[in-house]
Amino acid sequence: MDLIFNSLPLLARGTLTTLYLSAGAIVLATALGVVLALLQLYGGFILRALVEVYLYVVRGVPLLVLLFAMYYALPYANVQIEPITGGIAVIGLYFGAFMTEVVRAAVLSVPRGQWEAARAVGLTTPRILLDVVLMQAVRMAGPPFVNTCIMVVKGTSLVAIIGLADVTYVGKQIVERTLAPFEIFGAVALVYFVICFGLSRLGQYFERRLNYVH
Amino acid sequence: MSTDASGSLAAPAEIEIRGVSKWFGEHKVLNGISTDVKRGEALVVIGPSGSGKTTLLRCINLLEEFQEGEIRIGGDAMGYTVDAGGRRVRRSEAEIARMRAKLGMVFQSFNLFPHLSALRNVALGPVRVLGVPPQEAAEQAAALLARVGLADKADALPGRLSGGQQQRVAIARALAMKPKAMLFDEVTSALDPELVAEVLDVMHQLVQEGMTMVIVTHEMAFAQAFAHRVVFMAEGEIVEQGEPARVFQDPQSKRLQAFLKRFKQGYQL
Repeated sequence: MDLIFNSLPLLARGTLTTLYLSAGAIVLATALGVVLALLQLYGGFILRALVEVYLYVVRGVPLLVLLFAMYYALPYANVQIEPITGGIAVIGLYFGAFMTEVVRAAVLSVPRGQWEAARAVGLTTPRILLDVVLMQAVRMAGPPFVNTCIMVVKGTSLVAIIGLADVTYVGKQIVERTLAPFEIFGAVALVYFVICFGLSRLGQYFERRLNYVH
Repeated sequence: MSTDASGSLAAPAEIEIRGVSKWFGEHKVLNGISTDVKRGEALVVIGPSGSGKTTLLRCINLLEEFQEGEIRIGGDAMGYTVDAGGRRVRRSEAEIARMRAKLGMVFQSFNLFPHLSALRNVALGPVRVLGVPPQEAAEQAAALLARVGLADKADALPGRLSGGQQQRVAIARALAMKPKAMLFDEVTSALDPELVAEVLDVMHQLVQEGMTMVIVTHEMAFAQAFAHRVVFMAEGEIVEQGEPARVFQDPQSKRLQAFLKRFKQGYQL
């Protein structure tokens, strides 16, 4: 018990890093997901093809490999970025591909009649997307969006391997000094569980708030 | 209103349909349709399912593309123009949207925006398309909801309304754009029988106010009582048309006779 108590300040700092990485990556992935999904659905031939290539590449390469590429390969190309910024960028770009699928499916789930009614009123496509389709897609996207956010939070643990002091990395360091893996990794696991459980509950709350009888 | 021998009103044409043909792949669903809808006229289109009547209605505001012929709204060509080389070219999305705004459309399945209150459903078009200030649009929307008997439902989401109420909101939404003409696509077909009358009442009121209307419907009693002219379509063509009394009491073509006979018989064991 003492052990965990003494480790708390370190674990807390690691947790903050994890939260910071998660929040940054979720924001980036979501923005990317909305833009890429709309380009894929309504962009011209070239834009659609570029998005497809991006999605295939990201889906086909493990997150860890992308992190290694950022951490070890970019310096050779004379690109210097802060590890934490690079971590957010890589995780955000990676999960942006999954968010694209989430947004695309939600947009496509809006019935055709909604488009027709909006067109009949005289709205143009960008306005229809903003006022009618995306407003409804948000509700449809809720559960899979929260799901992807949870994957992002857990995915951030991989940055421990490239030496970023997130809660997983800090836990590993403490275990190496204290030789108490059960207690420390138990605490680390609890941190992830609490964040993800909180996200789930937040998702459920918004789902209820956005609910309307169809 | 005075009508001539063919049942058309003596008024300028609001909607001109000239030789319109449409194919779905190999299948020709509209075969050279021509007719005018005069200003203030209530035109009812009847016919068996698959006759192309809904498709024709949807061509008028270009929810369906058509490959031949032309449709003019207030003299302005809908959807396509002919370029210098004589080729038929589609008009820009902005032009098409602007023309659609002049036509109100009401759908069989209501298609209200489920995330917006009745009032905001009605006010959306005026604010976004006509540039009416939101406060003014809200006042106009409230007045329109009152006109269709739904003054107390302004804040209700569509999901909380009955089918008949939703359809009346949809009519108010279309009227909010101050359209030159209204298009009704089987607007009572998805309603419970006891809710049909409240929607037909609103439409009857519009006929009396002189709104130009094209109504695709199976409500023969409504057509007989309130239409200025009835068009009977079958297999993508206008088979017969005229004043409702003539069309219903003295059908000339075999197909219309058969169609009306089936309707009069109704459901028999």
